[in-house]
Amino acid sequence: MKDCYLGIDIGSISTKAVILDEENKVLSSCYIETSGSPVDAVKKALKIVRVPNDYVLKGIGTTGSARKLIGLMVGANVVKNEITAHAIGTLTYYPDARTILEIGGQDSKIILINNGVITDYAMNTLCAAGTGAFLSSQAKRIGVDINDFGKMALNSNNPVKIAARCTVFAESDLVHKSQLGYKKEDIIAGLCRSVVLNYLNNLCKGKRLEKPIIFQGGVSKNQGVRKYFNEILKADVIVDDNSHLMGAIGVAVLAHRQATNKIYNLDIENIKFETKGYECNGCSNNCEVVRIYKDNHLIDSFGNKCQN
Amino acid sequence: MGNYGFIVHYFLSNVLKDEIIDPPKITSKTLELGSKYSPDFVCTPFKYTLGTLIESLECGSDILIQMGGGCRYGYYHELQSQILKDLGYKFKLINLINGGNHIKLKKLIKDYNLHIRYYRLPKYYLIAKTMVKYLDSIESYVRKNRCYEKEKGSFNNLEEKMINEFKSCHSYFKLRKIYQKYLKKFKSLQLIKPKQEIKVGIIGELYTIMEPYANYNLEQKLNDKGISLIRFTNVSYLLYEKKRKVKKFLKNLKLKYRMGADALDNIYHTKYLCENDYDGIIHIKSSFCTPEILIMPIIEDIASKYEVPILFFSMDMNTSETGFETRLEAFCDMLEMRKK
Amino acid sequence: MNKVIVGIPRGIFYYYDGVFWNSFFYSLNVRTIISPKTNKEIINLGLLSSPDEMCLSMKIYLGHIKYLEDKVDYILIPRIDRFDDYNQTCTNFLAIYQYVLHFSSIKILNYNIDNHHTLKDGAFKIGKELGFSRCEIIEAYKYALKRHQEYLRKKIFEQEQIISNNHKKVLIVSHAYNIHDEYLGGNILKILKDNQIDVLYSNYFDEQKANVKALELSPNLYWKYSRDAIGSISFVPNIDGIIFFSTFPCGLDSLVNELVIRKIHKPYLNIIIDDSTSITGLETRIESFVDLLEN
Repeated sequence: MKDCYLGIDIGSISTKAVILDEENKVLSSCYIETSGSPVDAVKKALKIVRVPNDYVLKGIGTTGSARKLIGLMVGANVVKNEITAHAIGTLTYYPDARTILEIGGQDSKIILINNGVITDYAMNTLCAAGTGAFLSSQAKRIGVDINDFGKMALNSNNPVKIAARCTVFAESDLVHKSQLGYKKEDIIAGLCRSVVLNYLNNLCKGKRLEKPIIFQGGVSKNQGVRKYFNEILKADVIVDDNSHLMGAIGVAVLAHRQATNKIYNLDIENIKFETKGYECNGCSNNCEVVRIYKDNHLIDSFGNKCQN
Repeated sequence: MGNYGFIVHYFLSNVLKDEIIDPPKITSKTLELGSKYSPDFVCTPFKYTLGTLIESLECGSDILIQMGGGCRYGYYHELQSQILKDLGYKFKLINLINGGNHIKLKKLIKDYNLHIRYYRLPKYYLIAKTMVKYLDSIESYVRKNRCYEKEKGSFNNLEEKMINEFKSCHSYFKLRKIYQKYLKKFKSLQLIKPKQEIKVGIIGELYTIMEPYANYNLEQKLNDKGISLIRFTNVSYLLYEKKRKVKKFLKNLKLKYRMGADALDNIYHTKYLCENDYDGIIHIKSSFCTPEILIMPIIEDIASKYEVPILFFSMDMNTSETGFETRLEAFCDMLEMRKK
Repeated sequence: MNKVIVGIPRGIFYYYDGVFWNSFFYSLNVRTIISPKTNKEIINLGLLSSPDEMCLSMKIYLGHIKYLEDKVDYILIPRIDRFDDYNQTCTNFLAIYQYVLHFSSIKILNYNIDNHHTLKDGAFKIGKELGFSRCEIIEAYKYALKRHQEYLRKKIFEQEQIISNNHKKVLIVSHAYNIHDEYLGGNILKILKDNQIDVLYSNYFDEQKANVKALELSPNLYWKYSRDAIGSISFVPNIDGIIFFSTFPCGLDSLVNELVIRKIHKPYLNIIIDDSTSITGLETRIESFVDLLEN
């Protein structure tokens, strides 16, 4: 029997799960939509990724915005924030990486690395402009499938200038530009370009992007965005085949590092998880407490700001 | 703001004969109420204070007291009273610092028909002032050492006990005794120090830095992760030390002029933290805080010259606590990795 | 003769004392370059060299400085803190000089206005730095001040003419550096003009009188330029409509305009623009405001 490790990355838009072997090779992976319900998404994902027959599961790690909840649910041995997870994942495959660009569903980040140690990072703070969610909502508005979006952008020679500092402005600008009768490809290319510009403007101000630069997250699958990163940074931006899974891989690697002899199983399908939020009126703090029930038993609660 | 509320209450209740109503503690509801009636891009403290004022009015108060001055703070009360008037409340709002000279104050007292026990004023002024000083000194000790506590919660419990004793103390000398007693107690609390101590300095805009609700309890969170903290901004600093230090700051930074609000102080403190081997700096402010926006690039530049990592937070009601924690955790991970 | 070139950025301060400094240097025979009117290039330069959350007007100012950087020997950047305790300015006005000082190697001609220093001190300081004698400076200062006052008087006179005619009129309440920057305010002015509406500017009123009037609206206001702006409202009681015009996110305007809007009972329009405001949306809003005035 060989050992393997599970990593789950539950983002706001998509849920990613991978199983790694001891050599950090991906044995099984999946990428599905979260659809607003992380618990259901993880249940679904765990039906798709399976522990191969001659392997035993030795560790589970969770990351992403719902990492705490899912960590409890699957009994993970590592719960890590996605910045560290992404860095670890990338360093596993590219030990000499210096810059990681990541654009996900609802946020984007940049991580700078020196000698395998994170030296600086930034996460977008202002709004969702220039993220995956923004691109897919704009794709829908123009009536283009998000999977064709990147390819179509490559056909344009004359990208339209779109103000993308904020989704609200971008959207009104987009409507205006399409009413002026610009070609679809040009608008799409303009959107891709504006995502890149917005990203560089928001996150990379005052930072030196050393090569090699690695681009990941869901949006890294978009050729249009990739093209403009290459063009504007004047560098060859590396995109791994598993670039969209890097967070999950990273946390699986961490689960491996911190593994004990415990063997995990994944029978959570029939267990009922419920989250109840309520406002505690015990004192004037009025904490909003979130309680998590597993088969109607309280297993944990957080959000309590009081001492007891 | 922070733990200072009780001192203001203590002072007023001993000096005035009128009934004093404490504002309810700040909660998400406060911010919701405040933002509902605020203009779009004022800084967040405006929203918090407006929310608090509304809640206090709901509790039946008819005179509100506010302090502030320096940047936009000094103008808050005028707009806020207009907003509240438009909402149909009847009240009087006093701003303590702005234009707070004595003649004006006397007029205020007369106008508002306050019943002041003048003979008590000097004594309780002294006590309250000392209390602020003691509280600040204890709190900075707590901030620095709470992360190493052996028994979880021991620092916080002790602080609460001390505040309770402060409240019922009516003499200056007794106050000093209480302070010394608790200082000893604090120092005798058991600590477990790790091999690698991580020290972080917190700088930024004063309201967000001092009100735990507005910064998602930043200090407690960092302490829980085993990080020792230093913070310069507190009420004693703002009221007594700041004025004295400006010249020193200017000289040290080779700058000619003062900058708005706490901007200069923050630049100096960044340099101080970098030169004194702190492992990281956290700069926290509310969104649209104009003086701080301008100096952020300067601070970043200084910190990067010394290769000290710095984390910026800009807080408003849309800042999600999850995102906040993610970045905070990543920052702590990074500091740990760097130490190794 | 002196061969240095002094650059004057066409932003923020230029709209307050641009005429003064231009005449001052002219009288001293110093060559000056004033950066061109705000354009896309300058805005982009500004966006690149300023923090995100800063107000658009300041970003533009930084853009102008960047534009001049490699074209001149000195750049004129003042620091205006306060004229006295009841006449303060935006915190950006007092910090911007040090910001530029930190990030740029260009030589800066700086003067400081606060409780103890006036524009006159500033003129002497700068004149001295450029190596002129006291007499020359006094001469230039007097000349510049005269030109400055003449200019203002002319503008105020023009505006009085407009007040006394019986066209439809709109008062624009705004900082001078916003409405007179064509890139920012040009569109609004054009739409109003196309609709035959006369425009009054809040900064072309008698300063002292405006200041007194402003106290009626807001007794505790301590920002000079905001006070000048809102003071103008009481000057023209028969105004048809008021447009509040500010850039995103101006700290002063966010409070002052909100207060004034709550106190006046007249048709008004509150326009806040940033670097990506679309022209179409702006047009629609102003046109509907104009329709409202005409009914």
